[in-house]
Amino acid sequence: MFINFVLSAFGAMEEENVCSIYANQVDLGVEKDDVGVRGDRGRRFWMDISINIYLIQLVHGLVYGMLIFLVASGLTLVFGMMGVLNIAHAAFYMLGAYFAYTVAVYLGNFWLSFLLSPLIVAFLAILIERFLLRKTYKAGHLPELLLTFGFFYIFVELVIIIWGSNPLPVPVPALLAGDVPFMGKTYPIYRLFILGFSCVILLGMALVLMRTQIGIIIRAAVSDADMVDVLGHNVPVVFLGVFGGGAALAALAGVIAAPFLSTYPGMGMDMLLDCFVVIVIGGLGSLWGALVAALMIGALQSLGILWIPQLALVFQFLLMAVVLIARPTGLFGEKE
Amino acid sequence: MSRYGAFQIGGGGVAAVLLLFPIILPEIKIHLAIEILIFALLAVSFNLLLGYGGMLAFGHAAPFGVGAYAAALSCNHLPGMPLLVTLLIAALSGFVGALFIGFFCVRLKGAYFALITLAFQMFLFAAALKWRSVTRGDDGMGVVRPELYLPGLGSISLMNIHNLYYLTLVLVVVGIVACYLFLRTPLGNAVMCMRENDVRASFLGYDVFLTKLTVFSFAGLLAGLAGGLFVLFQEFVATTAIDVNRSFAALLMTVIGGTGHFLGPVLGAIFYTVFQDWISSLTKHWILFVGILFVIVVMYLEGGLISLLKWERIRVWVSGQKE
Repeated sequence: MFINFVLSAFGAMEEENVCSIYANQVDLGVEKDDVGVRGDRGRRFWMDISINIYLIQLVHGLVYGMLIFLVASGLTLVFGMMGVLNIAHAAFYMLGAYFAYTVAVYLGNFWLSFLLSPLIVAFLAILIERFLLRKTYKAGHLPELLLTFGFFYIFVELVIIIWGSNPLPVPVPALLAGDVPFMGKTYPIYRLFILGFSCVILLGMALVLMRTQIGIIIRAAVSDADMVDVLGHNVPVVFLGVFGGGAALAALAGVIAAPFLSTYPGMGMDMLLDCFVVIVIGGLGSLWGALVAALMIGALQSLGILWIPQLALVFQFLLMAVVLIARPTGLFGEKE
Repeated sequence: MSRYGAFQIGGGGVAAVLLLFPIILPEIKIHLAIEILIFALLAVSFNLLLGYGGMLAFGHAAPFGVGAYAAALSCNHLPGMPLLVTLLIAALSGFVGALFIGFFCVRLKGAYFALITLAFQMFLFAAALKWRSVTRGDDGMGVVRPELYLPGLGSISLMNIHNLYYLTLVLVVVGIVACYLFLRTPLGNAVMCMRENDVRASFLGYDVFLTKLTVFSFAGLLAGLAGGLFVLFQEFVATTAIDVNRSFAALLMTVIGGTGHFLGPVLGAIFYTVFQDWISSLTKHWILFVGILFVIVVMYLEGGLISLLKWERIRVWVSGQKE
């Protein structure tokens, strides 16, 4: 399930291409034993190492947090505009990763999937929105949710039929393979690339949303779609664009996640649960809330597992329950 | 033939079929029938929330799983405990679990409510997975079906599948009837009133929080009973009793059957279980077909399968004449 990442983080400290499903918490013990063995040089050394572990884990957390944010941003915008909680969104992320695998293996060029995968997935998403989802708007929010739910099931099963249920490792592109020295340990370059790349995407998104005409319309539609409609903008078309764009972002997140987490059919469900938590903590419809919450969740998961490994499964849910009980609309949410 | 007469005949027919099932069906089908009965109870309790309360819960496996684990633990650790008391414990644990969860959840609405119930269910799932000394985690716990002692009849062995079928039938029918009667009370009406407009309901003087909490924990009671019966039937409990897929299965059954009618979820449970049994014998990718079915139902059959059985349609079909 969704713990795979948290668990894999430890495996990945040992070696890069460890498959996330098979990594488990035993690795934590290995890490500590390792430290203990070297600790005979003195207590001070031991402490340095343990602080470094926390720092490295924090960077892991940021990497995963940015990944969640890429997926959750589309989800939260779509919810803000139309009130659709798009469960199939996590399936778009999963499809993105699988397309990346296919492109990398059959076309031999991982970079091509940065272009192809989001395009295909966005096309798929636009078809679903235009021809199926749009018909259910008049019947309230429940049918929309259930429809995307059905699509989630369909996509997961199709992935199992087409690619099989075993995890498929996607090789890290040669340009980004290898490690850099970091805090007395080595750190895989590819993860730093994920961090940098998602920051670039975030900046691009912020520019589009804050500085362009279409961004203003989108933000206005998130806060009140009816009013924007009355003002003469074509809200259904804008929404179609946001839906497709969100799906493309999710697919892009899938592409960059593929060499990092490997592709497996459960990745959609893992991401779905994390995304739910993130958009709820951040407040449904709030982009900045999603960013803050995603980074919080990433850091919490990767640091939390060092403190209380038994609770690793539920850290994000614990945080979500606390936030919702204290602030029922999330950290940055405004309306019901 | 009046509508009432048709209902009497139909109800009598259904009762006769339910009672005669063990005699006319092979044993493997009785297993399927027991499963259907248990899931019917789960789906009806889910529809109490979704259809009547307008509360979409993603975590309905929580009370189900709590009931299942409570039944398994009391079977294993309290030898000599009468079977019906075990099932009562299961139902009450479901009730208490739902009361606790509901206390934090029912203030919230819509997607927030759905997701926080999911969060609580994930806590319980993690507890079942990690608290190995009690729940044995992934390995699950085997349970020996205790004997049912009834005054006047002596003890009845449940290893005989027919006896188990009748026990399940009686308890499920009691649960579903209790649910039906609950909805006819003023409290049940208040629940529906809150589904339509809870602000107005609170202006009318209803305590929205307390009413929603009551219906949430009552649904938990029934789900806990279903969980207890499920353990008795499977003679085994593992984390699958409380995972996300169980919650989603309850949702699928209820929506496929139809949320707008009291018996919709029952129909959904029958259809879902039989469909799954049939199609998983043909292909291991049965989830795909469930998903497609789900999309079709949402797109083209708004009221669910039960809307195919509307009285008007049946009358036209039976008498062969249109209005």
